[in-house]
Amino acid sequence: MRLTRHPILEFDRGREIEFEFDGRKLLGFEGESIAAALHANGVRVLRESIKKKRPRGFFCAIGRCSSCLMTVDGIPNIMTCVTPLKKGMRVETQRGKGSVPLAEPSSAGPPPSETKRGTDEVATIPLAIVGAGPAGLSAAAYAGRMGVETVVIDENDVPGGQLIKQTHMFFGSREHYAQIRGIDIGDKLIANLSDLPAKLMLGTTVLGLYPDRTLSLLTAGRHVRLRAGAVILATGASENMLAFENCDLPGVYGAGAVQTLMNVYGVVPGKRVLMVGAGNIGLIVAYQLLQAGVDVAAVIDAAPEVGGYHVHAAKIRRAGVPILISHTVLRVTGPDRVESAEICRVDDHWQPVPGSETTLSVDTVCLAVGLTPNCELAFQMGCRQTYMPELGGLVAVHGSHLETSIPGVFIAGDASGVEEASTAMIEGRLAGLAAAEWLGTEFDADELTRLRAEAAGSLETLRAGPFGAKAREGKKKMLSSMNEDKADSK
Amino acid sequence: MKDDVIICRCEDITYGEIVEAIDSGLTTLDELKRVLRTGMGPCQGRTCSRLIARIITERVGGEVADMRFLLDRPPTMPVEIGILAGKNDED
Amino acid sequence: MNHRQNGILRDEELKRLLPPAARLAAGPVVVIECVENIPCNPCVQACPKGAIIIEGDINNTPTVDYDKCNGCGLCISACPGLAIFVVDAGRTDAVGIVVLPYEYLPLPEKGEIVSALDREGNTVCDARVVRVADAKALDRTPLVSIEIPQDKVMIVRHFKRKDEQD
Repeated sequence: MRLTRHPILEFDRGREIEFEFDGRKLLGFEGESIAAALHANGVRVLRESIKKKRPRGFFCAIGRCSSCLMTVDGIPNIMTCVTPLKKGMRVETQRGKGSVPLAEPSSAGPPPSETKRGTDEVATIPLAIVGAGPAGLSAAAYAGRMGVETVVIDENDVPGGQLIKQTHMFFGSREHYAQIRGIDIGDKLIANLSDLPAKLMLGTTVLGLYPDRTLSLLTAGRHVRLRAGAVILATGASENMLAFENCDLPGVYGAGAVQTLMNVYGVVPGKRVLMVGAGNIGLIVAYQLLQAGVDVAAVIDAAPEVGGYHVHAAKIRRAGVPILISHTVLRVTGPDRVESAEICRVDDHWQPVPGSETTLSVDTVCLAVGLTPNCELAFQMGCRQTYMPELGGLVAVHGSHLETSIPGVFIAGDASGVEEASTAMIEGRLAGLAAAEWLGTEFDADELTRLRAEAAGSLETLRAGPFGAKAREGKKKMLSSMNEDKADSK
Repeated sequence: MKDDVIICRCEDITYGEIVEAIDSGLTTLDELKRVLRTGMGPCQGRTCSRLIARIITERVGGEVADMRFLLDRPPTMPVEIGILAGKNDED
Repeated sequence: MNHRQNGILRDEELKRLLPPAARLAAGPVVVIECVENIPCNPCVQACPKGAIIIEGDINNTPTVDYDKCNGCGLCISACPGLAIFVVDAGRTDAVGIVVLPYEYLPLPEKGEIVSALDREGNTVCDARVVRVADAKALDRTPLVSIEIPQDKVMIVRHFKRKDEQD
């Protein structure tokens, strides 16, 4: 179902167009993702899994999993969650691995020797920033203030990262854009770049990052290379998965996917939702579901207490949504999509308590069970890594200026440890300054020192409370890990 | 957990299959990947690696923190081979 | 159970948030249901009277100078946690008013009878909508004033429109 009105958002939909799904004519909006258009038409099963032929649907919504692969215009394995819908597209449920149609001899291209190769030239840039979310855009602004020319690369066509789905007001104080809704903060961060030598390169995926700081990019259907003087990785985080019976059934979605569907495309995920995870993301998305007119059956969490802010919990409690701590989901059932979910209590050792099972009639289960930093580009080029549960898992070792173990490579925001968007912005600023310093661009050293001290102070304040304890501890351990590495290399 | 719970969605590998492999002596993410293909599908282990790491510690002990994770290699996303070879739609 | 276990403030926590009886009886006054140390301070800047104070670190919870607060409600829509309410228990006719943030559609009409809900979403009583403010300055956090029995002003924190069935 499509939202026709929303208390916070206005949906700027494209032209209404016709497309084909398994021979049926359906309507969608040009430019929305194929998966969103199908969801709006009530289609939840997108493919059949490769061996066990299980139904699969939408899941991550960011082109990171294999759940939504379909055959589009005869080509299999198309990630329909990130592929824009076009008029007349022929979309088919994919069964198995799919096979690529062989080209007719008449339509074959010129012999290889005559093919123009588009990948020989390598462009250069002083600073490449990967990710146009809160950390990346802030990094570009601060590097730009130091006079550094920057390109900010993002795979999405719209900058802002996760901010574009955040309908709630941010916490913090004025310098952290407090009281402004996330959806509006992205615009402000982009406006900050207007007089600076910063360019956005959107719709561009970084396929690889090599030790000489060459980035391999996929942009507008072409492969190009870019060599950067310095690189800042602001690549965010990915959602964690939870395993339970039938967890791969269509209707089990990541919280980020639900936000994308609902707040970007204006398509509701279902009629009644079970939210798994009572951290801030789970609580906020539960509230957003209520705002979109979707019923939330309960918010459950295996932990013995609510992980997120009380104020977020209070908003959904007073709207009548129960929060059940020490609860987990055992299984979901339904022939080809979720029709019910069975939950139960867990004991002090996280084990299900027999006899405590309850069945909820829901058509959607939303998973908000934590995030893992996206460090793969850092790891590809060989940055030292460490497993730090406080920061969300495997992260690139980094210092207080967000420098990694490889000179000229910096990491900021959720990619350097899962926290809030407010801390991501400040980390971005610090990384931007550090990159400028490393590049040796001509700049006002006093200004850099002042901005750095200001940002460091701001980070300390944001992490000072009980909710910052994990990040505080993680970053402290990270610093000693970095210093050990430095001592080792001497 | 029930044996038929899907852990690796891309390659359709279940909890039972993973446990059986671990119990046969394959106790690293890399070994499991080579034998079962867990982490070799389009998602490259993004969805299942953490889950499998946990299952390994449950079966053979140890800490996830000490585990060697899968190597990250380019390309980060599935990409048409023609594009890497220099295909240009404008040609 | 405490609020970390069920998302509901306990009576003793609420007692600390309650304005003094004399101030409550004197008319509209703010109630800030913010009990955790979150780095946040827009409420302080929103108050034209300087009645909301966060001492020292912005992680500290706000306190209210009840002599300065006139219950204007400018802080309500400024609170990112939607944790601020204005209550009026100062009327002589046993009627009380709660002003609350309401980010749902459709907005109720003035004069409409709605179901008043407590912090757990339970229906407490009927309420009459006496004012709906949705100015641009409120930035999509409309304020709805509802009329309820005076002894319910510290119980009612939300409402449900009558045509919205469970």
